[in-house]
Amino acid sequence: MTRLATHTTAEAQDLAAPLYVAWQITNECNLACLHCIEESGPGKAFADELDTAQVFAVLDQLLDCEVPYLSFSGGEPMLHPQFFEMVEYVCARGAQLKIETNGHYLSVENCARLKALSVKAVQVSLDGATGLTFNRMRVRGEFDRTTDGLRNLRIAGVPIEINFSPARFNMHEIGAVVDLAYELGAYSFYTGRTMYTGNAVKAWRHLELSDEQYEGFFDVLRAKTEEYRGRMRVYFHEAGLLEELRYRLQHPAALLIVLPNGLVKLINALPFVCGDFRRQSLDEIWASFRRAWRDPRVADFVEELASDPGKTKTLHQWVFL
Amino acid sequence: MRLAKFVKFREEKFGAVLFETQSEKVFTLNPTATAIVREIQAGGDEHAIAARLKDRFDDHDGAIAREVVDFISELRRRGLLEG
Repeated sequence: MTRLATHTTAEAQDLAAPLYVAWQITNECNLACLHCIEESGPGKAFADELDTAQVFAVLDQLLDCEVPYLSFSGGEPMLHPQFFEMVEYVCARGAQLKIETNGHYLSVENCARLKALSVKAVQVSLDGATGLTFNRMRVRGEFDRTTDGLRNLRIAGVPIEINFSPARFNMHEIGAVVDLAYELGAYSFYTGRTMYTGNAVKAWRHLELSDEQYEGFFDVLRAKTEEYRGRMRVYFHEAGLLEELRYRLQHPAALLIVLPNGLVKLINALPFVCGDFRRQSLDEIWASFRRAWRDPRVADFVEELASDPGKTKTLHQWVFL
Repeated sequence: MRLAKFVKFREEKFGAVLFETQSEKVFTLNPTATAIVREIQAGGDEHAIAARLKDRFDDHDGAIAREVVDFISELRRRGLLEG
């Protein structure tokens, strides 16, 4: 009998190649956000980021293996010197591409270009409904410039997604941010729990929410999900990191996280590196990725998080499997 | 009739996957479903697809034709087909 089997994410073990590649194409950023898990910022590009030839060699491999969906993030991906060439290359080869940006370079011209290239969506981080909260989270950021960028996307007809990271000082605006996202033309809204890693470790006293505060936060989101049903999808992940990682151990998603220097991480929330595009082919990395999920060091690290949630602050001390 | 704008199709050893990239949902397909999607991509309506598969699979009791209709209806219900 012919039936569709549905999964919220594909599991990796039976697939010939990843279904989704999330590529942090540079660690350089114009902003220095309080919560940035990548510790990106001005002057923070890795010294060994892939050069142009390496970037396009990786893209060729991904597209030759029919990876259907890629995202470019950073840092700020639009600061990458070959950003538009990369976007054009991916879209011309038929893969779907999402750009994850802070929205500061979404000029009228750039939005028209993204539309002409048929990007699948542009996801913009909007961590506040006002300049007061947004600019506090997004150090060096400008709320008005981001919302102007979103308006330019909408006028150009580029599908918009909004991402929100909660903190002690912006969580009261969550309902207003969802409303603003809809007003600005978003079709999806994403949020979850802010992670204790990267820049957030230093700023944690400003960011940390209590369990009770998260309860109230998610209550608002449940109401907003209903309010916008059929008009804008509101996604939020209530599960904590430990719960998510335990699930992933049993059901690894067919997702590769590629760092600006070509290293491949098992998942963003773990320190393990399972491949290197400078030295390995996609086939080798994919095989290594699937083996790595069964490495006992991975399961051990996840279980250590149960007794020591603060271990997430070591995620940037890469462990090579 | 064609796959919806945000749906990608990739063949695998077990059959294939359909990836709806807006909701990021993945659907795994068995070999029969894979053959139907391949035919959708080749063009034609339900009847043309059923006729082509009927010939290919030497279908005598009309089971394939029914499967094609049911499966295409399921793809439509899930928003994976347009046109």
